[in-house]
Amino acid sequence: MSSIIEIAQAIQDSSIGVAIAESTVVFPVIETVHLLGLALSVGLLLIVDLRLLGLVLPKVPVATVHHQLRRWIFTGFTFTFVSGALLFWAEAGQVIVNYAFIAHGIFILLGIANAAFFEIRLVPGAADWKESLPGAARFAGAASLSAWFLVLVSGRLIPYLA
Amino acid sequence: MSFYETLQNSAVGHLISESNHLVGAAFQVVHIVGIVLLLTAVLLVALRLLGLGLREQSLQEVEKLARPFLWLGLAATVISGSLFFISTAVIYATKEALQIKIVLLVLAVLLQFGLVRRLVAHPASKAVARGAALASLTLWLGVGLAGRAIGFT
Repeated sequence: MSSIIEIAQAIQDSSIGVAIAESTVVFPVIETVHLLGLALSVGLLLIVDLRLLGLVLPKVPVATVHHQLRRWIFTGFTFTFVSGALLFWAEAGQVIVNYAFIAHGIFILLGIANAAFFEIRLVPGAADWKESLPGAARFAGAASLSAWFLVLVSGRLIPYLA
Repeated sequence: MSFYETLQNSAVGHLISESNHLVGAAFQVVHIVGIVLLLTAVLLVALRLLGLGLREQSLQEVEKLARPFLWLGLAATVISGSLFFISTAVIYATKEALQIKIVLLVLAVLLQFGLVRRLVAHPASKAVARGAALASLTLWLGVGLAGRAIGFT
């Protein structure tokens, strides 16, 4: 464990880490990219999740909603992950021992695992889904909603549980 | 005593500033959940106006889908934001980034409710729809940047 903390501290102390942390322009701009990428990814994913639960667009097939929003959700996640990695670079030594950050990482992994299961196992058959969706699809929607909500909450709490 | 001092010294102001710091953190969580809901609505409509996103659905259908997210998001962000402001009004009132954020926010909300509603009722040319979408996205980007800058100025 101590070696992980040492590595994180070395990342934070690297010239790029210090440059990001010390800039009063770069740091908030990266945070804004993180926030807006989040709206694109988690926000539009929310629509897919709520459709899986039958709460929005009940008359539009899941495949139609998913297919149209998928590229935007992935674009959003790219922005969020890259900006998140840069924020980590600047604060790695502090956040690696922060409970909110650890929870943030765990919930992200759960969200990704659920998304991979949904994309690989469920999406190929989605075109055949009738009015009532398979239980697995509804479960994936609820799991995604819960996981990304907790990612959002734990991420925002990082500065408060230092 | 100035208006902001009165606000900060009010019962609500004291209640928030003297509470556990996790109460402030809870307001921040409500604020960011509200931001995501609000921006979900903005993105759905702006993408549709650009001919992207849910393009197989009509603009009317997308606007109807987005509406509850817009209201819920606005309510959550404005209420939680006002509570931060009340508890530290004297310092916040001097922050230029906050003043810029409020101006951009008002413009973005007016555009969202005014122009977008009008485009739904009376479809306009593609150029007007695209212009409205780009203006909306630019304004919300500005709100986000100004908001993040508050703590750094």
